[in-house]
Amino acid sequence: MTTLWDTTGSAVVKELAAQRRTGGAVLSGVALTLVVVADESRVTEAEEAATHAAEMHPCRVLIAVRRQIDAPVPRLDAEVLIGGRLGPGEAVVMRMYGRLSLHAESVVLPLLAADAPVVTWWHGAPPERMATDALGVFADRRITDSSLADDPNAALRLRAEDYAPGDTDLAWTRSTAWRAVLASTLDSVSGRRGDAVQVRGGLIEGDPGNATPELLAGWLSSRCGCSVEIVAGSRRAGPSGVEAVTLRLDQDEEVQVRADHRGGAIISQPYRPDSTLALPERALGDLLSEELRRLDPDEPYSEALEAATGLSGLSDRDPVREHVWFDPAGQEQEVSTP
Amino acid sequence: MIPNPLRDPRDRRLPRVPEPCALVVFGITGDLARKKLLPAVYDLANRGLLPTNFALLGFARRDWGDTEFAELARGAARKSARTPWREEVWERLATTVRFVQGSFDDDNAFDELAEHLAELEGSHGIGGNAAFYLSIPPSMFPVVLKQMQRTGMADSTPDRWRRVVVEKPFGTDLESSRELNELVDSVFTADDVFRIDHYLGKETVQNLMALRFANTLFEPIWNGHNVDSVQITMAEDVGIGGRAGFYEKTGAARDVLQNHLLQLLALTAMEEPVEFSAEEIRTEKLKVLRAVSLPDDLETFAVRGQYQQGWLAGQRACGYRQEEGVDAGSTTETFAAVRLGVETRRWAGVPFYLRTGKRLPRRVTEIALVFKRAPHLPFADTDTEELGNNQLVVRVQPDEGVTLKFGSKVPGSVMEVRDVSMDFLYGEQFTESSPEAYERLLLDVLLGDATLFPRNAEVEASWAVIDPLEEYWQGTEPHPYRAGEWGPRAAEEMLAAEGRRWRRP
Repeated sequence: MTTLWDTTGSAVVKELAAQRRTGGAVLSGVALTLVVVADESRVTEAEEAATHAAEMHPCRVLIAVRRQIDAPVPRLDAEVLIGGRLGPGEAVVMRMYGRLSLHAESVVLPLLAADAPVVTWWHGAPPERMATDALGVFADRRITDSSLADDPNAALRLRAEDYAPGDTDLAWTRSTAWRAVLASTLDSVSGRRGDAVQVRGGLIEGDPGNATPELLAGWLSSRCGCSVEIVAGSRRAGPSGVEAVTLRLDQDEEVQVRADHRGGAIISQPYRPDSTLALPERALGDLLSEELRRLDPDEPYSEALEAATGLSGLSDRDPVREHVWFDPAGQEQEVSTP
Repeated sequence: MIPNPLRDPRDRRLPRVPEPCALVVFGITGDLARKKLLPAVYDLANRGLLPTNFALLGFARRDWGDTEFAELARGAARKSARTPWREEVWERLATTVRFVQGSFDDDNAFDELAEHLAELEGSHGIGGNAAFYLSIPPSMFPVVLKQMQRTGMADSTPDRWRRVVVEKPFGTDLESSRELNELVDSVFTADDVFRIDHYLGKETVQNLMALRFANTLFEPIWNGHNVDSVQITMAEDVGIGGRAGFYEKTGAARDVLQNHLLQLLALTAMEEPVEFSAEEIRTEKLKVLRAVSLPDDLETFAVRGQYQQGWLAGQRACGYRQEEGVDAGSTTETFAAVRLGVETRRWAGVPFYLRTGKRLPRRVTEIALVFKRAPHLPFADTDTEELGNNQLVVRVQPDEGVTLKFGSKVPGSVMEVRDVSMDFLYGEQFTESSPEAYERLLLDVLLGDATLFPRNAEVEASWAVIDPLEEYWQGTEPHPYRAGEWGPRAAEEMLAAEGRRWRRP
């Protein structure tokens, strides 16, 4: 590990190359570059998750921390690690001060692995319009996390308004386990009937202030064409915000999946005894690695998002964004200090 | 499969989960069940890949109750599981575990097993689907299969599937494997028989197909015009462990060559399947296995060896004949190397050198394509003295990955070309946490996906290759080699006879 204080982007590139040469082949073969945008307070969390994801998907991890945008002198500090704290691969943690924060791409671009896909993950508040953050514009896939916002539902709506194919949100990833259990529950009902099942309606108990139940409801209604209600649950739900899902089926039947708060779920279905299944709350790194498995646009997500927010035509939007200059500190300053 | 409104082919986050079913394991107290099967079941449960309604039934001779069995299963699963241990996952799984005690010729025990299954259909909602895992010696197959036939357990109907999983060895020669296949196929339908070759569940083996058929780079040179020879090695550093009884009767050729190595050869040499489906891949593999030819001169090109006392990894290792339970005059081979040909337009004239052995310097399995040398080199002879053949190596285990070896200029003022290698390595952790071969294969059985399982015709075609070798070796002494060496000298001479040499893996 080398730490470079008050350095430049080219020095970082050089150091990375030097470490690759002297460090030996710790991990050769990079499938993608993961750019992590995190606030200082969340860097440790983000590092841990990125490390876990890098173990599953060999990638170069670039962590960009923007600090003190109003600092008078721009400055870059960087840590270059190969096969160290941040997993078996190559990683660079960059802390940017002052006006440099607004031009983070100038440091990050030369560090991207050649011709490999780029995934940008905001572990913190993402820009209102992604086009204003160059770190998101050059990414093939963009990951946000609405659950970190003060008002996750408003954040989700914002994501829908700004959506372009290739965007995804960890609130959606948190619903995967629930979706898998619901799908296999319907499998077992249709297996018993020997005939297809129709869903007539649904009810989600959980935290209405969380984005995951909303996306889950959106997904159910987009798949089944029925309305799905969300009501506040009686107990405190975990990070996924979902406590139980009840589906009303045709033939007057009903199935229910309820979290048992012990890392499992109880499944109730007609004519069968209740059964339990693993449904653990997943760690951040685990969610992130699920996102890195596929780098193409996630259509089921865009449909769930449409249904959850009432917007339409999300998947028809242009997947490529054009960078839009935005200066949180005001335009005049930019002219004086380019 | 009945359509499910929540399933969407575009939704690739949702895992493939089997239909509700039961897994019945015969010989649940055996080594394999404890070291591989039970941990694999736990790992599947932990990853959420088991269906909502699932039951595990163990059948063995030991006099046990459900609780004692659950205790053993827990210990076994905990010891060898690859995913982190979560007591609550196990607890849930344990509620589905049943143990049936009895010997295989005991009608009552099988009636009880059938009753248990029928009962589980209702109480656990498994819908009548069941997979039977025969983790027992092949000599027991006839009894067990007849019992299953008698109780009607083996019949698939449109409402339910019944599948059987068979472990190697699939017979000891062509005739016995035919008998075995006929027996298994008479009780189950051919499509419901899954023969486990755990090598085919390995990530790199599947990657071999991706490498060949998803890229444009390799396929054009994947033939006898460009390939000089192919070397497939499976080396083990361990001895025979406690399996003397089994190994004495089997030997390296039957134990490894017949199944793992010939399957790797088939995957390397096969033509592109029409589509990536079980049936098409098996068809292509079978074509290759049928095209395999043996050399005329078996004396030189079929070598078997037996390890003798030596040093391995800094420790003294005893010779094969000194191992416990091995006959002092045993002629069982612990090393086998053979030169095979594949008589197709693509491969005619290209030798496939296969070798396997125990007590070799390190544990490694790899497939190496050695390319022809450039027909003309514009450099001076002295410039390219250190240049070897280009090689493409698929490393199956350990260090799963791909290596490409080619010549490159040595930096400096003179023109000198030397071999360098370029590595693709799966991240260490990637292979750690990727599903174990058994886990993957077990899941495929429950899903009914036969892509990674050899078909009976493949097994028979493989025996047709091995039988003449065994016949030739009958009554001969294997060549001795010291433990910790890369096999007997005769194996080196086998390649030297044609001006080649083994790659050191």
